[in-house]
Formats: sequence, structure tokens, C-alpha cells
Amino acid sequence: MFAALSQCRRMLLILLLVAGATQVCLAHAVLMESTPKINSTVQGPELDITLRFNVRVDGSRSRVFLLAQDGISTALALAKQSKPNILQTHASGLKAGAYKLQWNVLASDGHMSKGDVPFTVK
Amino acid sequence: MLVTLVDLFSFLSVVLRAGTLVFQSALLGGVMFVLRTARYSPNAPADSIAQVQASSWKLLRWSAVGLAGVQLLYLYVDSAVLMASAGLPFSGVVGANFFLSGAIVLVAALLTALVAGDSKKVARWALPVLVLVIMSASVMTNHAASRLEQRPLLITLSSVHELAAGFWIGGLPFLVLGLFQAKDLDTRWYVTERFSRTAVWSVGALAASGLVMNILYIGSWGGILGTAYGIMVLAKATMLGALLVLGGVNFWLLRNFPKDRVMPRLRPLIEAEVGIGITVILAAASLTSQPPAVDQVSDTVTLAQVWQRFKPEAPRLAYRFIPESDPQTGPQVGPQTSPQTGPKFGEPIQLSGPQIVNVDGIPLTPRIINDSIESESNHHWMGLVVLAMGLLALLARTGKAPWAEYWPLLLIGIAMFIILFADTECWPVGWKSVGACFADPEVFQHRLAALVCVGFAVFELRVRTQKRENDRWALVFPLMCALGGAVLLTHQHAITNVKETSLVELSHVPMGVLAVFAGWARWLELRLPKENRAIPSWVWPTCFVLIGAALMNYREM
Repeated sequence: MFAALSQCRRMLLILLLVAGATQVCLAHAVLMESTPKINSTVQGPELDITLRFNVRVDGSRSRVFLLAQDGISTALALAKQSKPNILQTHASGLKAGAYKLQWNVLASDGHMSKGDVPFTVK
Repeated sequence: MLVTLVDLFSFLSVVLRAGTLVFQSALLGGVMFVLRTARYSPNAPADSIAQVQASSWKLLRWSAVGLAGVQLLYLYVDSAVLMASAGLPFSGVVGANFFLSGAIVLVAALLTALVAGDSKKVARWALPVLVLVIMSASVMTNHAASRLEQRPLLITLSSVHELAAGFWIGGLPFLVLGLFQAKDLDTRWYVTERFSRTAVWSVGALAASGLVMNILYIGSWGGILGTAYGIMVLAKATMLGALLVLGGVNFWLLRNFPKDRVMPRLRPLIEAEVGIGITVILAAASLTSQPPAVDQVSDTVTLAQVWQRFKPEAPRLAYRFIPESDPQTGPQVGPQTSPQTGPKFGEPIQLSGPQIVNVDGIPLTPRIINDSIESESNHHWMGLVVLAMGLLALLARTGKAPWAEYWPLLLIGIAMFIILFADTECWPVGWKSVGACFADPEVFQHRLAALVCVGFAVFELRVRTQKRENDRWALVFPLMCALGGAVLLTHQHAITNVKETSLVELSHVPMGVLAVFAGWARWLELRLPKENRAIPSWVWPTCFVLIGAALMNYREM
């Protein structure tokens, strides 16, 4: 039993490594849909961004960052929420390359969640 | 730093949510108990009721202080993470839903601690109001509050569910305490009989609200076995089923037998109910950190994937690593992973065959495969020992093999296994010195676990050979079993791959539930009168056998 418990931690570590660069979801706000879509290729340099979640999220206490392939992260200003489960923002001046949207959201029930949306600008 | 904080929060949130639910239930059950169940009556001596009331008020005050403490910690942790992740000042956190709800619960809990007392007239009307405020604020931090559809219905169902759980499960510790404190049989009978009436309709409300919520939150048959949420609901329902059986036996005893025959049997049954009830609440807390199954349609594990992972296979008692240095051939592993003859234990070999992939079809790296091979083998060896313990305990139960009573000696086998194989780089089999090994926290924990196993072996052996009645030391082993099961049910859930999370839950949760049942069955065997021990004495070794079998079929890929 004790060994099983100690193995659990190792197994969790392994599973963390398995996941790769796809969507990450801790706690229980789940990203149901996004623009741009995960691993999609979009046209720059202007980009409207929409994230739709499964639950109500607190827009004033949630954050979306744009991570460029050179490692520079930019905080994106969120627009006023049109629906309680949707976050919208806009990125401009995007050059060709790989990007990642990193979201940190606070659900109405107090759970915090985070995740990534990797995409490419052509 | 931020990642660490948020990851830590996901674990702490389960623990703090569990603490909140346990104390909140105790407050609901306690208020019902002191104001309604244990009321003064001509059916029971006043001084005995006064004794029960005094101890209940005390437990109620401590429950309120406990809730206030947990809420303070919850507010601190949640605020710190939000401030770090969103770059908000403290003033920006104050208006958040969770902060308002937590602050309301904190203030109401402190007020409850202040007004709870028999001498305070204000308690009669203030306590019901305060606990309802606590429950309503608490409901605002569960799934129902953040849903987009059917929100009012779900909030109502959650409220009914938490209220019923509080009146029944939260009231049980007060009943156990009352039974200890009551001076005479009449008072014990009076209090138990009145509690039973409250419990009956609470059970009905709990089951009905739970059923409707699960239909709405799970949404499909596939979601039950295919998501972590569904699996936890299944575990919760199984334990609730066990509670209903125990409650049903109590109900039947109370209405069919005289007081003097019922009371010695009732108390151990209620003690087991308290233990399993608290575990159910822990499972409920674990559920709040999981996304409802209905939101994970694209991440639901199929029955075929479940079968692929859990179909019975020969245990991996011997294994060989695949080479990690050759990226061309690394992930190529064939069916001959346990060849008949060949290299020694742990020696790298070259294998060929189909690629090993995770549940999403992504190829696993050689490092991950090797770690999984080692982990699976460790689990399988451990399963073999637990299976042997269970079978020997069953054999001992038949009364035909007294030597089998020495099954706790196998715990020393587990200790030796941990020392030899949990950290193969360490002394006595590895190249690291004793000092260097003990400086590593993980190795230190493993060695400590080995020591605990030896301690338990000595303990349980002493209990089984001396066979003394009312030996309080004998209760340590069942309590540790039940605690181990509860920990397995509430362990860390923050795994990035949603489908793998479900498969991890599916492998751990049944073992957790079985460990809980084993612990409380052994408790009942020790606590019930001799003539009523037959069923529990067969149940717990059977649970051990099943845990051993599950461990021997444990797989990570």
C-alpha cells in the first residue's frame, strides 16, 4: 500500500511528460472552443481571439497572454464579456511564426484553471 | 513559481474543500442534533440528556472553529494564487465570488462558535439561520454556481444534497459522542431512535438529489467509466450504498429488538458509518475539482480503451529496460517484453514490434516506457504480497490453519521489497552510500514507509497472537487501512492529459474503496459482539484479495 502511494507520485510525473504541447487543463474550467483553434495556422498580422469555456468565468480576474517563439510574453487586454463563459481579445502586429495563447481563468465557483492554445501565423 | 502555486492549489483545494464539507456537515448535523434530536423529554432522564447536550455543544463549537480555520486558509491560498496568476492587488481579489462566499462562511462560523451553548437563548433561533447561511455560501463555490444551463435547478439540488448529507452524515459524530456520554440505556435508545427518524428522510433526499445531479453532470453511460468525474461518482455511490446497508441494519435492529440487545451492536455500526461517511464527503470534495463528465465529451475514454488498459494480463514480475540512448529504435517494444531467458534484471535490451503509445495514440519515449515498466513491476510484486496476505487471512478465518494467523509477517516482506527495489540506485543494492540515500527526501520517505510496515507487522502479529478482547491497539490497523483508502480517493488530480487522468482514477479508485471497506469491516469484527462478527470477518480479507488482484493487473501503458 505504501509503495503504491509512493509510486503514484512517479506515475503523475510520467503522465505530465506524456501530455506534450496540447491543451492543459487543471481544475474544472474546460476550454470548449477557441479562435484560433488549437494547432491551427492563421493569417496575421491582426488576430481576433475568442475563448469559450464550459462554465461562467470571471473576466475581470482572468488573464490571457500571447507567447511568441522568441519567448516574449505579452498580456492581452480582455474585452467586456459578451457572455459569461466567453473571453475575447485582440492581438496585432503578429509576424509569421509559432505562438501560444496562455490562459489563466477564474471560474465563478472559485476554481482557477490554466491552459495553452498553440497556433501558427503564416 | 506561478506553475508551482497553481499546481499546489489544485491539491490544496481538494483538501480545503474536504475540510469545509466535513465541518459544514458537522455544523448542520450538530445543530439538528442539539436542537431537535437530543431534546429534553420524559422518555429519558434529564441529567443524562444534559450530559449528552453538553458534549454536543462542545463538539459543535469545535466544528465551528474548525470551519473558520479551514476557510481562513482557503481564502489565503486562493487569494495568493489569484494575485500571482492575474497580477491583481489584494483589493482586486476582494470582490471575487469565492472571496465573498469564503468571507461569509468565515464570519458565520465564528458567530456560530460564539452563540453555540445551552445557556444562550439566542442559539435557538440564531444557529439554524447561521448554518443555513454557511450552507448557501458554500453552495456558491461548487459546480452548480458556475453552470450555464439549469443553474437554479442545480443550485437547489446541491443545497438539498448538502443539507441532507449534513443532517445524516454530519449528525453521526454527535450520535456516537452522545452514546458514549449517555449514562443509561433509556437515553441511548431515545437519542438513537430520534436520530433514526431524521436519518430516514435525509437519506431519501440525499439519494434523490444525487441521482438527478449525476444525470445532469454525467450526461451519458460512457461518462461514468470514461471520465475521472464519473469514476469518482461511482466510488461515492458505492460507499453510499455501504452506508445505506449499515443504516438499514441499524433501522431494522431498532425496530425489531429490545433495547438491551440492540445497543451493544448499534454503536460499532454507527462508528463504521461515521468513518465511511467522512470518506464519502472526502470523495465529494474530490469531485468539485473535476470537470463534470458532460463537459468532457471529446476527452471521454471509450470502453475499448478501458479494456485495452485493464484486460487481465500476466503480471510483470521480471522486466528489462529498453535502451534510452538510441532514438531510432527507442520506442520499439514488442510482445516479448518478458522473455523466457536472456539478460539479467534491469539490463538494457533491444526489442522490436509495434510502437507503444499513450491513450491518445502519441508514441511514448523510451524513458517513459522504462519508468512505466519499473512502476508496473513494483505494483505487481506488491500485489502478489497483498494477495498472499488476503488469502492467508481467509485461510486463518476458516479456523483450520492456525499458522496462517502469522500473515502480518508478509508486511515485513513488503518492507524488504521497498528497501531493495524502490530505489535501486541506493544501498544495499545500488552504488549510492547510506548517507547520500537518506539525504534524498524521496528515498527517505520510502525507507520510512518500510519502517512503518515493520511496525505494523509487529503490531498486528501481537494482536492476532494475543487475541485480547477490547484491545485498543488492534484498532490502529483498520484505521490505517481506512485512512490509506481515503488518501487514494483524494490524491492529486492535476494531470495534464485528461484521458490518462481518467485511467489513473480507474486504477486507483477501486483500490481506495476496497481499502476503506477492508478497514471498517475489520473495525466491525473487532468491535461487534462475538456472535455478530461472521460477516465482517470474511469481508476484509476478501477486500485484501481483491486489492492484491487489482495491483497485479495494474498498468500504466
